[in-house]
Amino acid sequence: MALQLFINGLVTGLLLALPALALTLVFGILRFANFAVGAFLTLGAYAAYTANVVLGLPLPIAAAVAAATVALASLIADALVFERLRMRGSITLLVASMGVSLVVENICRFIFGNAARSFDLAVARPIRWNGLRINHEQLITAGVVVIALVLLHLLITASPLGRAMRAVADNASLAAVRGVERRTIARITFALTGALIGLAGVLAGLDRAIDPLMGWNYQIPIFAAAILGGLGSPIGAVAGALLIGVAEEMSALILPVSFRQIVSFGVILLLLLFRANGLFGAKAIRK
Amino acid sequence: MISYLVTVVILVAIAALVGLALNLQWGLAGLVNFGVAGFVALGAYTLAISAPHVGWLAGLALSAAVCAGLSMLLSLLTIRLEENYLAIVTIGFAEIVRILLLNLGDLTGGALGIADIPRPFAGVTPAGWGDAVILAFALGLVVIVFAFSEALVRSPFGRALRAVRDDATAAAALGKPVLALRVRAFAIGGAIMGLAGALHAFFLTYIDPSQFTPIITAYAFMAVIAGGRGSNLGLVLGAGSIMLILEATRFLKDVIPGVDGVQLSALRLGMIGVGIVLLLILRPEGLVSEPKRRFADFFPPESEKA
Repeated sequence: MALQLFINGLVTGLLLALPALALTLVFGILRFANFAVGAFLTLGAYAAYTANVVLGLPLPIAAAVAAATVALASLIADALVFERLRMRGSITLLVASMGVSLVVENICRFIFGNAARSFDLAVARPIRWNGLRINHEQLITAGVVVIALVLLHLLITASPLGRAMRAVADNASLAAVRGVERRTIARITFALTGALIGLAGVLAGLDRAIDPLMGWNYQIPIFAAAILGGLGSPIGAVAGALLIGVAEEMSALILPVSFRQIVSFGVILLLLLFRANGLFGAKAIRK
Repeated sequence: MISYLVTVVILVAIAALVGLALNLQWGLAGLVNFGVAGFVALGAYTLAISAPHVGWLAGLALSAAVCAGLSMLLSLLTIRLEENYLAIVTIGFAEIVRILLLNLGDLTGGALGIADIPRPFAGVTPAGWGDAVILAFALGLVVIVFAFSEALVRSPFGRALRAVRDDATAAAALGKPVLALRVRAFAIGGAIMGLAGALHAFFLTYIDPSQFTPIITAYAFMAVIAGGRGSNLGLVLGAGSIMLILEATRFLKDVIPGVDGVQLSALRLGMIGVGIVLLLILRPEGLVSEPKRRFADFFPPESEKA
């Protein structure tokens, strides 16, 4: 039982890793927590639903459509909103991202309504092994996320683009002096993180019903994961996501299922009390 | 029709209270509270649970006190950190309140909520005057809170808060207790949100968790942005016009063919989002900008003193 919950938790954590990473990368470069993450996740799920169910495309192609859609939507949000407010400080950006979140969520609601939807996917028997049940969806999620994380890790650590991203996150003015434009890097980061969030939306749609509030339900765990890892630290975000996923699932051993979401919030509170820089201590984030 | 108008005015009153509270926290002190809906819900439930036992007045005070206390705790936890953290913690707080309201059925009635909440002066209200009394009560509450907020803005406390908002380091260098100022501003704002929740409960006499969605938070931000951060008068006008526009759009369903109820509500909420973003970009100072206060406003020269 405990082992089963642990495995479920790891898969949930992997799912959270993509949006948590997206949140932390944007924070690293633009210094604000993007509250539209949840709404963009919902958008990704609906984009994949449209490709998969309405147009009848296979799910891998639908996932690519979702990643492209959310990447594009993030770029648009950046160009129309975030770029224009960049000089006005992180409080304004925070509130603006909340506005963007409302717009995106309600575009989805306007088109698709409140009814729960799901992908067109053959129901497969879960794999049983030593008393454990593992769904095919869980395997897909784990596989996709691990591949995405490895690629992203290579991109960040071993490519000129990744170096430029780290340089801007570390010290934007210094990077600008060396000819790395924050503007360009910010755009690329928004597109990249949009694709990650879109992909996460598809994986979330495999796990649960697609409805306009689905992304909202991931919002707190995503933020908890990013804070746990130390806002701005990519590896921390992944580790944080795994810990949050496992903690949420394992909490079923001692808490009623309906209280699951309290776990993430509890983790945030404890962290802020004792270790505000996150477990993996990025730079100091005190004022 | 009359009772519909009364309803609209009371909804405006509740929105104005919530807006005044957020204006104090965000407009005056620069503290982002994304959990407004949670505080309003907490105020409403505190009143609904306590009022039958201790009476409406003590219940009202309790609502304000509980919300103030929790605001203080949340702000103490994050107030040394970047703005982002308070925003995250408050949004989480609102979610937790919602989950607890749904799941602590013995106390809160779960999804069914609480009915038969006593209204103020219920014992001495003549039959048929219930709505008029609650209307007067709501307007009275708004006037008191408005006067209080205006006094606060003009007080040394309000001046120090603006200084902290605009440049915390400079304020600290001048010896202002930045942390204490922020915690107090956040707690006072929380107390007013509790009052707004209590008014909501008084008015409907029946509450359930579905009445307290994050939409309340979005409206409040829209009101503060539209009204002009830091300006209480602008805020009341902002809250009023937003509520009126929202109420007016309810009738759009009869005018625009082929739009169902869900689409209409999506349209309204989406417009709120567009409004927040547009105003932030195009008119950051709001419709009524924060009055520029001169030294002389606080310390009139000797010659002007009567």
